[in-house]
Amino acid sequence: MTPAEETATPRELKLMSRSTYVKEAALKNLFLLCATMAVAGVVLIFLFVGWRGWPVFSEVGLARFLGGAEWLPTAGAFGILPLLVGSLVVTLGALALGAPLAIGAAVFLSEIAPPRVRSFVRPAVELLAGVPSVVYGFFGLLVIRPLVADVTGGLGFGPLTAWLILAIMIVPTIATLTEDALGSVPEGIREASYAMGATTWQTIWRVLLPAAKIGIIDAVILGMGRAIGETMAVLMVVGNAPVFFRGIGKPISTLTSQIVMDMPYASGVHRTALFGLAIILFLISMGLVALVRALSRFREETR
Amino acid sequence: MKRDAKNLTNAAALAVFWLAGLTTVVVLGAVIGYVLVNGVGEIGLEFIFTNPHGVNAEGGIWPTIVATLYVTGLAMLIVTPVAVLAAVYLAEYAVQGRLVRTIRFAADTLASVPSIVMGLFGLALFVESMGFGFSVISGALALSFLMLPIVMRTTEEAIRAVPKYIRWGSYGLGASKWQTVSRVVLPAAASRIITGIILSAGRAVGETAVVIFTMGTMINLPVLPTDPGRSMTVHLYQLAMEGINMPAAFGTALLLMAMVLAFNLSARWLLRRNRRMQG
Amino acid sequence: MLSAALLALLAGCNGGRQHAADQVIVTGSTTVQPIAEVSKEGFEKAHPGIHVLVSGVGSSAGIENVIAGTSDIGTSSRDLKGDEAKHGLVDTPIAYDAIAVIVNPSNPVNGLTKEQVKAIFQGRITNWKEVGGPDMEIGVVNRDEASGTREAFSKIVLDKERFDPTAVILPGTGQVRSVVAQAPSAIGYISLGFVTPEVKALAIDGVAPSEEAVVSGAYPISRVLHFFTKGEPTGLVKEFVAYVLSPDVQDRVVREAGFIPVTARGDGL
Repeated sequence: MTPAEETATPRELKLMSRSTYVKEAALKNLFLLCATMAVAGVVLIFLFVGWRGWPVFSEVGLARFLGGAEWLPTAGAFGILPLLVGSLVVTLGALALGAPLAIGAAVFLSEIAPPRVRSFVRPAVELLAGVPSVVYGFFGLLVIRPLVADVTGGLGFGPLTAWLILAIMIVPTIATLTEDALGSVPEGIREASYAMGATTWQTIWRVLLPAAKIGIIDAVILGMGRAIGETMAVLMVVGNAPVFFRGIGKPISTLTSQIVMDMPYASGVHRTALFGLAIILFLISMGLVALVRALSRFREETR
Repeated sequence: MKRDAKNLTNAAALAVFWLAGLTTVVVLGAVIGYVLVNGVGEIGLEFIFTNPHGVNAEGGIWPTIVATLYVTGLAMLIVTPVAVLAAVYLAEYAVQGRLVRTIRFAADTLASVPSIVMGLFGLALFVESMGFGFSVISGALALSFLMLPIVMRTTEEAIRAVPKYIRWGSYGLGASKWQTVSRVVLPAAASRIITGIILSAGRAVGETAVVIFTMGTMINLPVLPTDPGRSMTVHLYQLAMEGINMPAAFGTALLLMAMVLAFNLSARWLLRRNRRMQG
Repeated sequence: MLSAALLALLAGCNGGRQHAADQVIVTGSTTVQPIAEVSKEGFEKAHPGIHVLVSGVGSSAGIENVIAGTSDIGTSSRDLKGDEAKHGLVDTPIAYDAIAVIVNPSNPVNGLTKEQVKAIFQGRITNWKEVGGPDMEIGVVNRDEASGTREAFSKIVLDKERFDPTAVILPGTGQVRSVVAQAPSAIGYISLGFVTPEVKALAIDGVAPSEEAVVSGAYPISRVLHFFTKGEPTGLVKEFVAYVLSPDVQDRVVREAGFIPVTARGDGL
């Protein structure tokens, strides 16, 4: 059945009437309205989370909020520096482990895997993205944490456990985008490299990865966004002690996990401080997106 | 000699790439296998269809299943028309410019907003300011903002994948733009659009941090959209951290995984069937 | 029956907020919440058409509500203090909440003083050898701030001074127990009713935690959970209180929630 046949009634073959024109214009504006919902969403998030978080900036003060070294809500100390450091430690470690794995998997899928192997590795990568983060946390808590405890001594709650879990969680994000980037490298470049006698490894390392560099950087940045914003899985394995990083096996806390830990009992300034944490997370993730866009504009200009 | 070294390096490098590729499969297998082995004994009709009771939530998890499907379904209903029409605008009507760039930047930003931020946003706007309270509708509205960029992107890609000549055919027959879009382009792109919606629904089913602050944590069988409820993810989180009733935690985890995998696999199946029909 | 309903209605009006005669409103301590919730299920089953509304808002708010008349029963994990005692509230103890300090069974330490426990949870003692154990760093497991158990522990053991901020914080009893069961260096605290052979409960100030020691008052880390009513409970409220004190709730629900029944003689554990 081709839908085009249905439209070919004689009545509709007439020229566009005035009413049709008005209808078309109205519809176009309706669609535009729908499209601006994305913008409305961003603005609303900023306004409402910002509105709830504002008192912490005015009452506690930006310097003491961002620069304070102690998060002790019951004593009125709302310094988020330990949490910022915690988020940074958790994110960078996860990237250090997860990005090479993801890029390796993407290269494997794009350049090396025989079609039959690819046909089950690629769905596996996609399904990893679908596993709920609370299930990753559950797995991390019951399986990874005891293993880490054996290695580091102590209780197994801390950055190392979070790294291992997060590394897996960011693989799909980075791998899919890296594969796209590799796929957009023209076939001729590969052929030229092989024709010069280069091995597969030399082609990948000297030709393909440099050619796809900016796309891969994009992928890693977006993976970073995923890691810094991840909440439930981190919460369940990181130990939730709002103190500075003291070792890979010692508990710390992050911006995201602290919100969930404190929300059930927080009130007053403390509650606004949690919204303050959320607005900082929002700004970080928006900054990362802006960075990716700036990079891709840079790539287009240099071409 | 030098050639040997070159081949050795190559072989070693290829082995590392194989390892990276297969690691993903092994990890997925480990997570699924672990949950399956520990959870499968728990799951039965009673576990699915009865209410939890008692201090430690013995019995089934029926209300959490209903709450999860309810909030996801409602979010799909809210997001689909908006996201599809937004994609129609971007793919068919929009001219490149500042407005479109802003919309795309907003969509990308929305797609990367941490789910905990979306949760607090839903709490501030829908639960508290608009007075919906902890409810299915608050959860669905917050989730729909999470799903919006996903459905928008997949729909736009689907619309762009519809060959140009089909549109020309329609215009050639005198159809207006809207007629062409609604009767030719959207039907041709339908299965890919549905795939995108199902994928985003799979994401919503697995979401925790958003629903915990918008739908609440009370175990309740929601009937009206204004009723509160506890999603399966929240139930799993609470059971896992309470740690008193671990069999139920494994059962919940397994059902949750099965649900998410069903969403993902059906989306993939739809896509493949569609490709075969077109190819 | 009609007059009772009328009376309840009048009482409701006097309290400033009207509520239906077929309702019992229970607000207060989150610690008591699980007992109240499950009692509600059983009570509503036995009395069709009757609704028990339970909400956990904290002990102070619960007591405030019952004084103001907006609740029939205020649940509390603490005694009345200050002005609260002046309003003629009637106290019905419904359970004991005792907290056990637990370690891994492989740990040779069998008992600590309350002062040592305090020092460990404040981070002033950091190695087991300081309290007669092996040379091993102590792994402190604390509960989250929203926990009733933490609140009680903080008040009874730490005199409300601050906890060691570097300790692991877990938001659930079962996780504390399973981490302590698995890690030789760990120490944590959970409600006595949740202690299983996987972990070892320490004697505090020389008194081993047992039901008997709790009921007699010898075990130092325990408290009483209360129902407060404005005057002697009457009608439905009286029936609900009686139900909570019945063996059905005391021996089943209270124990499942990790508490010790108020009716216990101290021979159960």
